[in-house]
Amino acid sequence: MNDDQLNFRVNGETHRLVVAPNRTLLEVLRDELGLVGAREGCSIGMCGACTVLVDGKAISSCLLLAVQADGSEVTTVEGLSRDGQLHPVQQAYIDHAAFQCAYCTPGFILSTVALLQEYPNPDEETIRRYLSGNLCRCGSYENILRAVKACSSTSN
Amino acid sequence: MEIGRPVPMLDGVARVTGTLPYAINLKLPGMLTVKVLRSLFPHATITKIDSRAAEQLDGVTAVLTQAGIEPHGKKPLIYGAFLKDQPVVAGEKVRYIGEPLALVAAESADIAEQAMQLIEVDYAEMPAVYDVKEAMNPGAPALHTAFPDNCFTHAKLRHGDLEAGFAAADLVLEETYTSPVAQQTSLEPHVTAAQWAEGKLTVWSATQAPSLVQRVLAELFGLDSEDVRVIVPPLGGGYGGKGHVRLEPMVAALAMKTKGRPVKLALSREEEFVTVTKHAARIRIKTGVRRDGSITARQVLIYWNGGAYADVSPALVRSSLVRALGPYRLPAAHVDAYGIYTNLPPAAAFRGAMSSQTTWAYESHMDSLAHKLGLDPLAFRLENMLREGDTFVTGEKLHDIHFVECLEAVAEGLGWEESPRATHTVAAPLDKGGEEAARATLSVAAPLERGGTESPPTPLEKGGAESPPTPLEKGGEEVRRGRGLAVMIKSMPATSKSQCRLELNDEGRVRLFTSTVEMGQGAHTALAQITADALGISTEGVTVVGPDTAITPFDSTTSASRSTTMMGRAIVSGAQDLKSRLIQAAVPLFECPPEELAAGDGAVFLRAEPEQRMNYSEILKRNQIQSLEAQGEASTQGGIDPETGQGVGSLHYHQGAGACEVAVDTQTGKVSVLRYYAASFAGRVVNPRLAQLQNDGNVIYGIGPALMEEVVFDAGQAVNPNLSDYQIPSFLDGPKELVSYALEAEGSEFHGIGEMTLPPVAPAIANAIFNATGVRILDLPITAEKVLKALQNE
Repeated sequence: MNDDQLNFRVNGETHRLVVAPNRTLLEVLRDELGLVGAREGCSIGMCGACTVLVDGKAISSCLLLAVQADGSEVTTVEGLSRDGQLHPVQQAYIDHAAFQCAYCTPGFILSTVALLQEYPNPDEETIRRYLSGNLCRCGSYENILRAVKACSSTSN
Repeated sequence: MEIGRPVPMLDGVARVTGTLPYAINLKLPGMLTVKVLRSLFPHATITKIDSRAAEQLDGVTAVLTQAGIEPHGKKPLIYGAFLKDQPVVAGEKVRYIGEPLALVAAESADIAEQAMQLIEVDYAEMPAVYDVKEAMNPGAPALHTAFPDNCFTHAKLRHGDLEAGFAAADLVLEETYTSPVAQQTSLEPHVTAAQWAEGKLTVWSATQAPSLVQRVLAELFGLDSEDVRVIVPPLGGGYGGKGHVRLEPMVAALAMKTKGRPVKLALSREEEFVTVTKHAARIRIKTGVRRDGSITARQVLIYWNGGAYADVSPALVRSSLVRALGPYRLPAAHVDAYGIYTNLPPAAAFRGAMSSQTTWAYESHMDSLAHKLGLDPLAFRLENMLREGDTFVTGEKLHDIHFVECLEAVAEGLGWEESPRATHTVAAPLDKGGEEAARATLSVAAPLERGGTESPPTPLEKGGAESPPTPLEKGGEEVRRGRGLAVMIKSMPATSKSQCRLELNDEGRVRLFTSTVEMGQGAHTALAQITADALGISTEGVTVVGPDTAITPFDSTTSASRSTTMMGRAIVSGAQDLKSRLIQAAVPLFECPPEELAAGDGAVFLRAEPEQRMNYSEILKRNQIQSLEAQGEASTQGGIDPETGQGVGSLHYHQGAGACEVAVDTQTGKVSVLRYYAASFAGRVVNPRLAQLQNDGNVIYGIGPALMEEVVFDAGQAVNPNLSDYQIPSFLDGPKELVSYALEAEGSEFHGIGEMTLPPVAPAIANAIFNATGVRILDLPITAEKVLKALQNE
């Protein structure tokens, strides 16, 4: 298999990598860039643990070939906090105890960021539907709902 | 007071920034990637396994097959904490599809995959068996020669005169409930890394049982336990699936062949489904009741499908005796619990272990009984409920008993009294049926026997004396609503031990060394609070270290909701020890005998003049002591006789309840849980915020096996081993209204709450469906298809 050039920005930093065409974005983020906030949960785009933002859209990085991210701006959970300050969504998840084992949490947080960009004041039904592609096996959904609601009202 | 404070989870920032060091993130210098070659047949002898070509492949460091395990040569290495029946990797024979046959350690996952393709395996297929009842039949294929009838354990509970109890009953009802194979589905899979150096083994593993893994590995490789070091990072979920020895033996055996290079295996989602499962269960339950609603006798036969290896099942099957009958006063009770081998992946604990299956049976059954008696399901339960000071079926006197409060809390929350219930409008069937009906049921009142044919439905079931319950919304609406409730009892391991070490430094900070595993339940936060409370310092002044068997002391396991109770007790005893040491160290400073001193609130003080005090840090500094250490321990020595079920089943019993309202779409069979109220008895709540998460989480988790989760097998092959075909609850599956209570009682002990609101979920939902439609579902999960079919058969 011939390797391909991948030029993209991750969390504001430019990267030039040579990757095999069958490598997923998730593998490249974790193995090449050491960004382990995105995690494999199911490898088929069902659980959302590998969610990252590509040009602002929440996607399953286990389903995207890395080379398809060429020229994109990728944001992972590591890119949310600035100067040691947590992103308001991260802070809301702490304030509302919106996690247990937290394996799914970075994915939920990134989906929440995308949700709030699309619907700055989502109602409960919108939140439940938008985040139904992220699974939390510990079952912290009620507190996640509270955290997202808190973000939407404070951010407006 | 640090107990009762809603302290945020200690490592919350790491959890929201993605930096928590899960085992799956582990990278060690020179680490090799591991892949597993698995059996393609459910039951076969291996006539050839040739890995030479794989070993020659560039980038492959080692291939492990049974013949190549060092240093034991051709002798297969067999392990098992209760029954030594499981080979590290299969050699002569495979017993389920997915059983490990060979492991490859290579420079990359791609190379390891490629190498696996080069391993040649020839199988000679044998007949296989998957169903527990078929497995016990004479002539069924035997998985293990030592157990020709495939029954590896049969535990019994005998209490009172069963036949007399049934004879005294006005109504005897027998039903059979089933619960299928399910999968724990931690989002983080099983992960294990291992490395050998100078004859010593280090293992990093996502396990709930570091001390057990250490013991089993030491036995297996003939090492002293100090020469096996087990390190457990925080887990991305466990739910019982990581509660026992899993990948560690084969990964450690492979690492023997890599000349000191570390190896790491992380399972794929598909592999998870063939690594550990929830026991499928077939439960026959038979109860005698008087027309006033008092229970006279109960008998339960449980067939636990253990899969191909006993694993933790012998202990769990035994524990199922006290989890089988429900929290009711039973003048006579018998339980027979069988652990059966079949050609399926091994089964083990699944959050709410064994209680989820048994509660499904006895709480559905309680509603069937209430309906036949024309009694309100809540009133019928309360009438028979175990209370403080009662003697349990094991003969032990019960304490800290609050089933009534749990059930009343959820009933009140849901508004049970306000709901017009069907049973109020139905005449008691026994009044109509009279003597004849009663006699008719008595004719099938003989005790249940193992295997054999199950009794036909009792005449009353088909008698038509009762009309189906009236749904909350009357008439022929397409969507009908109904309410249901359920309650459960669960035991802790009767014999277990927790140890801890406390280290106070001269800054006044404390380090707690514990082998309790943090898997999202917030155990480390709760234990830090208990430490802080016992020493009179703030939780923020406590750091939790562990588990790492090189530095953290023994703990039986992080399972069965035992950690807050057992490790909590160990900490309290360790804090006591630390305080006496502090007092000793303060004696020369106060220039008075130790009896005149006391410790607390972060200081040692004069009993007579508490304002004369010196804080911990100052005592250490003045004595030029850098740190002061103390050990704590808590242990229980219980256990029940496996022939009679008599003895001590648990230090105390876990208690939980649930009540819900559901909507049933009669056109599609789809069930929606609209409102759910859950309660667990917590004794003393250490952290209300984390307690609520546990209680809520159990309800969400419980909705999975209740409504959707089943691993489907076709001739031993799991056909839905992925999260598209095996669905777990999402944001859209939970109730819109979810309220949970963690109940406390004055002077109570810490009670674990990791599971208590889970087992009631399925029967509460099924009872609500019955209330809505008159349809009784006997087999989990309650899929739309099953409900629709049942409605059509009405």
